[in-house]
Amino acid sequence: MGLIIDIVITGLISGSTFALLAIGFSLIFGAARIVNLAHTAFYMVAAYCIYVMTQKMGLHPVWGMIIATVLVALLGLISYQLFINPIREHEGAVLIATIALAMVFQEVMSLLFTGTYLSVPALIKGYFVLLGVKVFYQQLITFCAALLVMTGLWLVLMKTKLGLALRSTAQDREVANLMGINEARVAMMTMGLSVGLAAFTGAVVVPLTILEPTMWMHPLIMMMAVVVLGGLGSLKGSFIGAYILGFAGALVVFLAPMGSFLKGPVALSIMIVVLLIRPEGLFGVSFEEER
Amino acid sequence: MDLILFYLKKLFSVFKNEVFVLPSRVVVVLFFLFVLLLPVFTKDPYLLRIFILTSIFAIFAASWDLLSGFTGQMNFGHALFFGVGAYSAALLNLHAHIPPWGSIPLGALVAVLAGLIIGIPCLRLRGTYLALTTLAFPIVLMGLVFAFPDFTGGELGISGISRLTTSRVSDYYVVSVVMLGLCTIMWKITDSNTGIIFHAIREDEVAVRAAGVNTTRYKLLAFCLSGFFAGMAGGLYAHFMRIAGPANLEVSMSFTVVIWAIFGGVVTIYGPIGAVFLLFPLLEFLRFWQEFRMLMFAVIVLVILLYMPDGLFPWLRDKIEKECPRCKIRNIALRNTCRICTAQLDK
Amino acid sequence: MKKGKVLGIVLLAAFLMATVSFPAWGADKIKIGVIGPMKYVQGIGHWNGAVMAAEEINANGGIQVGDEKMEIELVKADSNEFLNVTDATNAMERLVTKDKVNFVVGGFRSEAVLAMQDIAMERKVIFIGCGAAHNKLCTRVAEDYDTYKYWFRMTPTRSTFLARTAFIHMDYVAESLKKALDIPKLKVAVVAEKAIWADPMVSYAEAYIKGKGMEFVGAWRPSPVATDVTAELSAIQRSGAHIIFTVFSSSVGITFSRQAGELKIPAAQVGINVEAQKDAFMDATQGMGDYAMTSTTYCRGVESNKNTKAFVEAYYKKFGETPTYTSGTYDAIVYALAPSIEKAGSLDPDKIVDILEDRKYKSSTANIVYMKDSQGRHLHDIEWGPGYATGIAIEWVDGKMRGVWPYKWKLTPDSPKVTHKGCVPYTIPPWMIEKYKK
Repeated sequence: MGLIIDIVITGLISGSTFALLAIGFSLIFGAARIVNLAHTAFYMVAAYCIYVMTQKMGLHPVWGMIIATVLVALLGLISYQLFINPIREHEGAVLIATIALAMVFQEVMSLLFTGTYLSVPALIKGYFVLLGVKVFYQQLITFCAALLVMTGLWLVLMKTKLGLALRSTAQDREVANLMGINEARVAMMTMGLSVGLAAFTGAVVVPLTILEPTMWMHPLIMMMAVVVLGGLGSLKGSFIGAYILGFAGALVVFLAPMGSFLKGPVALSIMIVVLLIRPEGLFGVSFEEER
Repeated sequence: MDLILFYLKKLFSVFKNEVFVLPSRVVVVLFFLFVLLLPVFTKDPYLLRIFILTSIFAIFAASWDLLSGFTGQMNFGHALFFGVGAYSAALLNLHAHIPPWGSIPLGALVAVLAGLIIGIPCLRLRGTYLALTTLAFPIVLMGLVFAFPDFTGGELGISGISRLTTSRVSDYYVVSVVMLGLCTIMWKITDSNTGIIFHAIREDEVAVRAAGVNTTRYKLLAFCLSGFFAGMAGGLYAHFMRIAGPANLEVSMSFTVVIWAIFGGVVTIYGPIGAVFLLFPLLEFLRFWQEFRMLMFAVIVLVILLYMPDGLFPWLRDKIEKECPRCKIRNIALRNTCRICTAQLDK
Repeated sequence: MKKGKVLGIVLLAAFLMATVSFPAWGADKIKIGVIGPMKYVQGIGHWNGAVMAAEEINANGGIQVGDEKMEIELVKADSNEFLNVTDATNAMERLVTKDKVNFVVGGFRSEAVLAMQDIAMERKVIFIGCGAAHNKLCTRVAEDYDTYKYWFRMTPTRSTFLARTAFIHMDYVAESLKKALDIPKLKVAVVAEKAIWADPMVSYAEAYIKGKGMEFVGAWRPSPVATDVTAELSAIQRSGAHIIFTVFSSSVGITFSRQAGELKIPAAQVGINVEAQKDAFMDATQGMGDYAMTSTTYCRGVESNKNTKAFVEAYYKKFGETPTYTSGTYDAIVYALAPSIEKAGSLDPDKIVDILEDRKYKSSTANIVYMKDSQGRHLHDIEWGPGYATGIAIEWVDGKMRGVWPYKWKLTPDSPKVTHKGCVPYTIPPWMIEKYKK
């Protein structure tokens, strides 16, 4: 019984991390058809920002989070304007540009902080015992943050004008343009929102993980697996896909301790199998080729 | 004697009428000469090593372009073919004692098999889904490599593979000649019927199917061909480095080849080759600035993408050549009238 | 215009080739290449140790080579071996062909060192390994002496000895637990990162644990860069393990100790945890890394032999941190190379190899003797045992690194007790005492 509770709780928590990342990624893809492979790189920059602010400048972690989110969102907007907007039409070029951007961030972090492993203190230290399983407060915060973000985003999308604009641009860019929505501005604001989400994720998740310049690669792969599994452009899909893969990872760790390094490959295999059966992912919309 | 003169004259006239007319073709000839004559100018083993690796990666990049550029199936896991080719050649060489000229092509055939295995699930996928799925395959394979360390050597890889040839210079010639040969074959493929169909599939698959062509077969063919060439590159790499390890399957290997190909220009075979020959030595050349190497590399790539989103070499080519509006034959940009149909070249 | 373009391309190519071929300069110095992952602690350790050695030797005028005294010139090479093995081999090739170094020290990642070794051996350049533990690096010397004789290992000891030392540490902790907490049968869990060097450790550990009459409760294999091991820790706690035998070389060591400390898992960590060897460990674990124990080579306050204190204190003074084992480049240059060069009277690698492999000398921590295998062939690997290279073990207590082994250690019941000066007894984590004290 204890094993099952362990699996459930572990699955929920790692699922929340993936969900936070995947939602941001899905947003920008849905609204602007941009595959932002530098998404987790922004997450990494935010993590380093928080490190600097809490360890070097002695600020309280909450302040660190807020400042980091704002700074990184700005960074995202600037990068978008400079590097991505001019080449938005060429999908392939956008992919490369985001990879190159991620590499630039990695190298800059490596220069500033070297490859030494660093860490950040938790927002709320300590742990509590839930149904016989020890859970960190920080993990609970991650879980609540995921739910919060999901609800917040849902509210924004359904209830506000910006959300409406986002949804219509996601459905059909050209028609949205015809309807008078400034599609370029919507894309830019979505980018800011998406990167801000990545930064927020960094703030919430980073006390649980280790800072080093290549830390963006592994979450990138898992995040893409989640997004593809759930269906590109579908927020609900990303959310559910995240928890599915989170549970898969937990199952692997608990049932096959000799193989816990296989978390990643197993998750990806699940993704491949699902795609074989349903090529658009679980909740993806099979959209027509755009001319 | 007269026969030789005749052929020489023929060669000369071919050169005069076909090759020297277009600067891009002259560049190709110069490139061939450069690659073949490099050891005559320098025996420095470090320099030769750099260019051997460049040639190997050139084959690799060109094979990516064959698949993703021409048929439009973005393959983000190209390292799979490379790694499979490298591991197969290494295993065949180590356990079955097959010499390099046998183990490399056989390794490439195993890579073709891998191409089929991943091509079939990918048939139903499009665009980003395809890209991300192909990304997954090398990672899964890496997991398998770590799960069976006795067979695959785990993260140490397989070492102690026999060398390609006995000396650095002959290594260089083997690799360069193979590279030139394989790339010419790839170029010929793209120029042939099959190549036209590949290109058409990229542009509009539905129309191709409507024309009665079995796109499934061609898409799988693209995967297999691409796998073969990439596998050859992998086998050559394993025998040159004398080690085949999980580093050959890394995500960074897949990403790097995509960067090269797009930087050089997709839907051309010469684009990726040129890009590798430009960027790989550049990356090594920047070694004296060790800390900033990768950073400068990434920044250069970003900047190039901003100004030449189609790739570097198509942009260059457009600068030095113009296409005739009437007969579509390419002319050097300096001309005012087309060399074939004498139409006005300026708009 | 067309000619101009072609000429331009040719000029550019020539320029590139010319600049890539930096000529070697400084003919009257001994050039020693230092190769390692320079952006990481391990490479920085390589470089720092070498710099200290070179400065010390050059301050005395240099090394006496025959009639003249030659100074040492160091050449830094970033192998980038963590990210790219090709890069590492290119760097090594550049060192031996372009920079034309006489000797190379360094190396860390076994996969990369295997490839780099081939390149150095081809050019008959003496390569002293200061970081890779894989047995194969030295068995190659025995199997093909003529090709590989230019390789010597300085640090660490080979993986089989590392394992043996780690097991002895586990025994030591087991003894302490038995005495203090009176537990009849100890349960041991093994947590080893998924890496090939750790694979045989897991099976040996299982056999050793059972052989000592303890209970083996399971083996967990997280990824070397795992950022979350709470799942593994939950499972270990549920299994009731008293001792956790760790086999970590990568960042998972930080994650594990931190989360084990935060969750107050009632088990003693012992084994190999490379990240715990570093001063930055306490910060990296956010202060939660107390009671982690690991084998290591240097610790401030511990003197393994008469040379240790001078080296450690000088290193700390110069670089602000305790040296890690990769700083063995100092030993390689000062104790291995320099005296051998002086005795040979020249830089001829064959002569130096002959002298070095038969030498018995003191390094900064141990007596160094080069082993031979069971058939009497040279391995150029360093001997293990009391007085020889065994390394030490440290435990983190109250945020500080303390030497805890060898402390009254007997190799066999009849051997004399060995204690390195400055070592103190092992401290059991207080939450463990709380749980088990009757």
